[in-house]
Amino acid sequence: MSKPKLAYYLAGGCGGCDIAVVDISEMLVDVALAVDIVFWAPTVADAKYKDLEAMPDGSIDVGLISGNIRNSEHEHIAHVMRSKCKVLIAFGICATNGGIKGLVNLHTTEQLLDKAYVNTFSTDNPNKELPQTSCVVDGKYELTLPSLMYARPLDQVVKVDYYIGGCPPHYEHVKKAFTALLSGQLPPPGSWITMGKAVCEVCDRNPVLKGKPKKFATTVKRTIDGAPSEDGCLLEEGYLCLGPVTQGDCGSKCPAANIPCRGCGGPIPGVKDFSLRAISAIASMLDNEELVDQIPGPVHLFYRYTLPSSFPYKRLKS
Amino acid sequence: MKKIEINPMTRLEGHGKITIFLDEQGNVENAFMQVVEFMGYEKFLIGMPIEEVPRTVSTICGV
Amino acid sequence: MAWEPRLVVIACHWCTYAGADLAGSLRYSYPPTVHIVRVPCSGRVEPEFIAEALRRGADGVFIGGCHFGDCHYKEGNYKAIRRFKLLKRALTDLGVDPDRVQLEWISGSEGKKFAEAMTAFDAKIRELGPNPMKGGANV
Repeated sequence: MSKPKLAYYLAGGCGGCDIAVVDISEMLVDVALAVDIVFWAPTVADAKYKDLEAMPDGSIDVGLISGNIRNSEHEHIAHVMRSKCKVLIAFGICATNGGIKGLVNLHTTEQLLDKAYVNTFSTDNPNKELPQTSCVVDGKYELTLPSLMYARPLDQVVKVDYYIGGCPPHYEHVKKAFTALLSGQLPPPGSWITMGKAVCEVCDRNPVLKGKPKKFATTVKRTIDGAPSEDGCLLEEGYLCLGPVTQGDCGSKCPAANIPCRGCGGPIPGVKDFSLRAISAIASMLDNEELVDQIPGPVHLFYRYTLPSSFPYKRLKS
Repeated sequence: MKKIEINPMTRLEGHGKITIFLDEQGNVENAFMQVVEFMGYEKFLIGMPIEEVPRTVSTICGV
Repeated sequence: MAWEPRLVVIACHWCTYAGADLAGSLRYSYPPTVHIVRVPCSGRVEPEFIAEALRRGADGVFIGGCHFGDCHYKEGNYKAIRRFKLLKRALTDLGVDPDRVQLEWISGSEGKKFAEAMTAFDAKIRELGPNPMKGGANV
């Protein structure tokens, strides 16, 4: 029997998910021997986009895409990947929900370009030149760039078979996902590959797991306002932690290091709109309504990883 | 004039593209390297609580 | 045909829904653009309900609950106001007009207040115009 073919495409991401695959360490040898990597751009393999386009439709067994869809090139390759791959997996929170890079939806392309290329303290651009989708250099060299668009999660562009959350997915979770993938023990199409538990359910700080009741937060604190207790619940102490609504495939690593969860794992099963459910969960954990006004930057907190997939998906007017 | 496009540049993180122009004899006349990716961290970080910035900008490049 | 607003009113069974009932019994009129959805308690209203209504084309969403101390489930309305305030802060930061989403405490005996609140809400939404978020257009 021939080996299953694997393709991996990094769209609008940072490569952290690629590193998460490398982080499975010794198991990487088994995975690399068990599959035939036909495309892994741009980080690992040398195959180019035209090589992928030349492959027959449906010839690749599993395709992984990390990163959100941010420009016309991402969109094009996502469609190509969909037609070439039998199973397509959105890998990492950018592909599943938009990710941190999805925060670009807070601004228009013009505002983003203006800040990055013109209006920054350290930028010297007197002619206010901005990237163009096509330009001709010295009157004869024609060059093109993809056009920018609002960030979208993968499933708003093509049909996605499975989702794996995390920024990046924890390597132990990647191991489990690859084991499930290679042994064919996958959940029904359209579902998340997850153990289905929230961060709170695997968190050592959770008082409920110790048989104690969970108390309301009576203050709102930032991580710069002192340090949390050794083993108390961060949310009870006022450090707004999104653990209640986030998938705990990471093993609750951030709260263990005194850092409140920010929701990179993606929504727990049954939740469609992560940001709104997080707003709901955090608001109901507060002791009184005055505390709501003390939360710094609610959009940057609740929409950190999920703006392109959570209502209203982008800022409507600036 | 012949145009050769190498897209994407591989074995690195970040999307890049190389375009090479050849003259009539087939020699390289000019070559361009373009960075295809644009993110916009400069703008969307504005308004974020300062203590959250380090863990946010770590996603500029994850490699 | 001229644009007519479509307003979704999510009313708690014990107070605001009874208030709406009383408004009818007392023959107070309020705009026909109002569509009432009954829920057990304002504490049942998830931010997702409001978002779903707006995404599907409602031009405004109004939540009605019991006055503080009157909640049939003791603290449902306290929870509702916390969620509502936080949602409104986030939506306002994201450019949604804050007046599109409103919350008011209307008891079962306040039929007149219900009719007046609906009339005022309808007028406000007419002023704001059609909902730009219809369909949840992302691009």
